[in-house]
Amino acid sequence: MNSFLTRYSSTTPEADIRKAKELYGEDEDFSEVMWGSTGGFGNLASGVPMFKLPSVQDPSSFLRMHTDDHADPSCRIKIKHGTTTLAFRFQGGVIVAVDSRATAGSYVASGTVKKVIEINPYLLGTMAGGAADCQYWETYLGIQCRLHELRNRERISVAAASKYLSNLVYSYKGMGLSMGTMICGWDKTGPAIFYVDSDGTRLKGDLFSVGSGSTFAYGVLDQGYRWDLTDEEAQELGRRSIYAAGHRDAFSGNTVNLYHVKQDGWKFIGNYDVSELHYNGPGDVPGATGGGYGYDIRVAGRTSTNAPEGEAGEGQA
Amino acid sequence: MDISFALTGKGYVILASDTTAARSIVKMKVDEDKIKVLSPHLLMAYSGEPGDTVQFAEYIERNIRLYQIRNTYALRPPSAASWIRRTLADSLRSRKPYAVNLLIGGYDTSTHQPHLYWVDYLGTMSEVPFAAHGYGAYFALSLLDREDGLMSGSSYHDPEAPLEEGLKTLRRCLDEVAKRLVVTPEKYKVKVVDKDGVREIEI
Amino acid sequence: MSRSYDRALTVFSPDGHLFQVEYALEAVRKGTCAVGVRGKDVVVLGVEKKSVLQLQDPRTVRKVAMLDDHVCLAFAGLTADGRVLIDKARIECQSHRLTVEDPVTVEYITRHIAGIQQRYTQSGGVRPFGISTLIVGFDPHDTRPRLYQTEPGGIYSAWKANAIGRSSKTVREFLEKNHKDDMSRDDTIKLTVKSLLEVVQTGAKNIEISVMESYGKITSLDLTQIEAIVAEIEREKEAEAERKRSRLAATAAGQAAMSQAAGGSGQ
Repeated sequence: MNSFLTRYSSTTPEADIRKAKELYGEDEDFSEVMWGSTGGFGNLASGVPMFKLPSVQDPSSFLRMHTDDHADPSCRIKIKHGTTTLAFRFQGGVIVAVDSRATAGSYVASGTVKKVIEINPYLLGTMAGGAADCQYWETYLGIQCRLHELRNRERISVAAASKYLSNLVYSYKGMGLSMGTMICGWDKTGPAIFYVDSDGTRLKGDLFSVGSGSTFAYGVLDQGYRWDLTDEEAQELGRRSIYAAGHRDAFSGNTVNLYHVKQDGWKFIGNYDVSELHYNGPGDVPGATGGGYGYDIRVAGRTSTNAPEGEAGEGQA
Repeated sequence: MDISFALTGKGYVILASDTTAARSIVKMKVDEDKIKVLSPHLLMAYSGEPGDTVQFAEYIERNIRLYQIRNTYALRPPSAASWIRRTLADSLRSRKPYAVNLLIGGYDTSTHQPHLYWVDYLGTMSEVPFAAHGYGAYFALSLLDREDGLMSGSSYHDPEAPLEEGLKTLRRCLDEVAKRLVVTPEKYKVKVVDKDGVREIEI
Repeated sequence: MSRSYDRALTVFSPDGHLFQVEYALEAVRKGTCAVGVRGKDVVVLGVEKKSVLQLQDPRTVRKVAMLDDHVCLAFAGLTADGRVLIDKARIECQSHRLTVEDPVTVEYITRHIAGIQQRYTQSGGVRPFGISTLIVGFDPHDTRPRLYQTEPGGIYSAWKANAIGRSSKTVREFLEKNHKDDMSRDDTIKLTVKSLLEVVQTGAKNIEISVMESYGKITSLDLTQIEAIVAEIEREKEAEAERKRSRLAATAAGQAAMSQAAGGSGQ
């Protein structure tokens, strides 16, 4: 019954081959590639690719000790955190919108971070949690997707790509990886979004938001979301939601990056300054209702004062 | 925060599991199916550590399927449950154990007997007439223990109850949880396994 | 010392042959025949069953195996080798579902099987698999039937119709003559049976037919169904022979009449 363990067992013919290979020092990776039928997953099957770990007794507790800026603000390594990312599926494809602020502790480390990782022309990944972890592993995922494409003569499905990432981070569970990402794309089954995080959770869904500002983004997103949104409405909803998070969450903001995935791949829609959105709106772009998003801008000149007729109130002109 | 229930009756087992997938205070998903159909007459509800749950459940699912393809017939519920428990127990003694709690419900087509197993992440297994995991257990178990007929026309757990009665009893558990638990799941997925196989029921 | 020439049975002969692989092909040629035929939206596997001994249970001898819900495999050659390869393929099918979520495509599993076969021609301490396989099925999200063949050397290829095993050359030639694109279900089954009858003298009771009609829908024909098809083929053959005979008789009569007329005029 322990069938999948067959490849690691020591009594099968395969094991004999392996032993022989070890004896003669043959290159295992090479022969796997030559064999070429592991669908791009050869290196998972033969153990996850080697990853350099700190040469200490317990890497994960070492990492925890030196990166926890909540317990110790003077810790040596400050991991970049704080983000708002969102993606949703609708009639016209997938909208992906993110902010661009990176914080290390209370310090805004950068305001121009690219939090959408372009895995390939049909796949996007978003970045929340450790910037380096997301960037490295999603780029790595891109390499594997391309290999899958070459081996199988068809593009990898979003499900498979996200599962690859999920299995990968799961194999590092408890070792300090920090990622909350959405893998978005278009495949044979149409538009698809998968949420993958470093716990190993992987969820298929229509609408996700990840990061410290996600609750604020959900507030706008959930209320405005419908399946039959037009492309313009959908783009505006994505923009508006990230703005809301940028406005309310101290660890999110600066600018909004907006992407739209359709059948023929993703397209970058634009970069919008959150302050600019607050005061003047996105400008002349499709779907924009005109004017600033900010509450005080939106309600300028209006009041709740309810003075009786004839008695001039403050708010009345 | 996962909540799952299961109970047996005359020729069937009902499994129910909430459908939320949460991360800190946010519900990431409200329609996640946490009950796997392992074979034509076998169900498994899983809960526990995020990541571990699905990884473990899918591993079990594929191996049970492999067994069926190799041998033409699926494992019977007692054998399947034993194997699953053993897998979990072996993992407990490994470097990185799966932290997963299970309810395994199946119908043995050769003895016409429904089976329900309660399994926790430590590899404890016991065959029971009804079971629960998560906070639901604190409310539902006493309710299910209660003998029948103390209240007129009501249904508590009865090993001979027909399916409709069983579902009413389940409804009682869900209602109790809805009434007393601080954060209540809004939706449950309910699956039944009996002589005709597995099916989903709206509740 | 470590890289000596005797580490594998499969080493090249001076003129570039791998004898072990060729012997494996010989084992395949000795195996019972298997046929695969692709129709418009159906694919059929037919195998020649060896006659079971009087006290043997025929159910324990099977040459067609399910690899997954949507892929079937028939082989010719050493049955025991087939069993091992089938088990490896079944594991890969489930493993693929586990890692990629989607079921395997027919080409993928074919490539995997061919890959295993190839490795056994290039590794120390092993011998090649003495089997060829025919793999049929449907890809997920797709309606086209697929048919592939693998060989002991690790070659794989796609076919409209093909045969492996004993007298496969005869059967293949028959298929080449009679195969048409876009055949219906019944025509495909009939062609499969017909081609097998080319080499199976004992008729229906030594033929096993599996029909795959769409993703995951596979049926095995029982003996009475196969007998019916065989009977129909016999009838057609009979009718054909009858027509031929009457035509022959007609021409013979015509010729006789003509020669008589010629003789008459000559008189």
